[in-house]
Amino acid sequence: MKHHRAICSALVTILLVGLACAQESSSPSQGRTFVDFVSASKAVVSPGHSAPVQFTFHVQDPYHINSSKPLVEELIPTQLHFSLPGEIAVGKMQYPAGKLMAFPFDPSTKLSVYSGDFVIRGLIMAPTKASTGTYTIHGELKYQACDNNACYPPKKLPFTFDVKVGSGRASHKASHS
Amino acid sequence: MKRSIILAVSVILAVSGLLLAKSSGLLQNTAKPNTAADDKSQTPDAQSKDNSAPAPNPPTPKIGTAAPNFTLADMKGDKIQLSSFKGKAVVLDFWATWCEPCKLEMPWMVDLQKKYGPQGLQIIGVAMDDADDKTIMEFARKMGVNYPVLRGTEAVADLYGGLDGLPATFFLDRSGKIVDEGVGLMSQSVIENSIKHALEGTPAHSAGGK
Repeated sequence: MKHHRAICSALVTILLVGLACAQESSSPSQGRTFVDFVSASKAVVSPGHSAPVQFTFHVQDPYHINSSKPLVEELIPTQLHFSLPGEIAVGKMQYPAGKLMAFPFDPSTKLSVYSGDFVIRGLIMAPTKASTGTYTIHGELKYQACDNNACYPPKKLPFTFDVKVGSGRASHKASHS
Repeated sequence: MKRSIILAVSVILAVSGLLLAKSSGLLQNTAKPNTAADDKSQTPDAQSKDNSAPAPNPPTPKIGTAAPNFTLADMKGDKIQLSSFKGKAVVLDFWATWCEPCKLEMPWMVDLQKKYGPQGLQIIGVAMDDADDKTIMEFARKMGVNYPVLRGTEAVADLYGGLDGLPATFFLDRSGKIVDEGVGLMSQSVIENSIKHALEGTPAHSAGGK
């Protein structure tokens, strides 16, 4: 009986260690981030139609990130990517124009950047045969941040938002580009 | 007895399998509609908010200690070992093509290599870049770089404190000991002063990059 109890204790210990390791391996290891996902607008679309959606991000002070169209060839543009379920599409992304700013490290050169809050707009589209319900979409903002003195390696900010496919009439007839 | 052990092992394996599947994202089901709808503007989940403690960076080698040795490939693919520069004062300049402050420093490094090279200075650029060798070489050529450029790795970054910010610069004396270091853009005069200390083998105050 004692032997049995010892084996059970050992197995429970192994299980706890395993759980701890699993937690460890799933924790982020990319270091600090510089941008937060603030919100996505309510996204409701009818099958066969499209609806506007907007994503708000916040660049933490005192950092800036390159806009979607940096003025210098080597700089890494900000981009939004989605991992989409088969029944939903996101398109016609509209990135805001970058602010033209010069920084203390080179006052003679203006760069196109985002700082503070910025909003990216797009269209959600659902095919005619889309099932009604709420879909969770996984998005990822790719960006590269700097401050007045140094630059930091490119980062990916994952986020999720929900799209409701309903039978309402709030959305527009879809036109695929 | 044996049966209970088999049962316990099976439970552990099943739980471990589920945890692994969850951590690898295999259990994320986005293809089917969810059961509950949220009609409000959508706010972030914990993953997309920068409120979690970042993973700590590895320690940065301290001034007065030996610079960690490494072997990295140059743009021709030749292996270069840091320790092969013993006898010279070395500036290790970690940079990237996407780093504007790094770009600003490069012409200064070129001038300082010309000025102090005859006295035994060797500047070494380490590109911490995902760009291909051709892009890095073209960039270095455009900047007129007159010193070796090596391709950095994560392992070397870890040896030098993670290199979370660029440029990151380490000044080594002729014995390979760190006499100064700094993260971020430093003025040309600060860099030159640290180079003088590296050549003389005397400790400099921390450049700090500010």
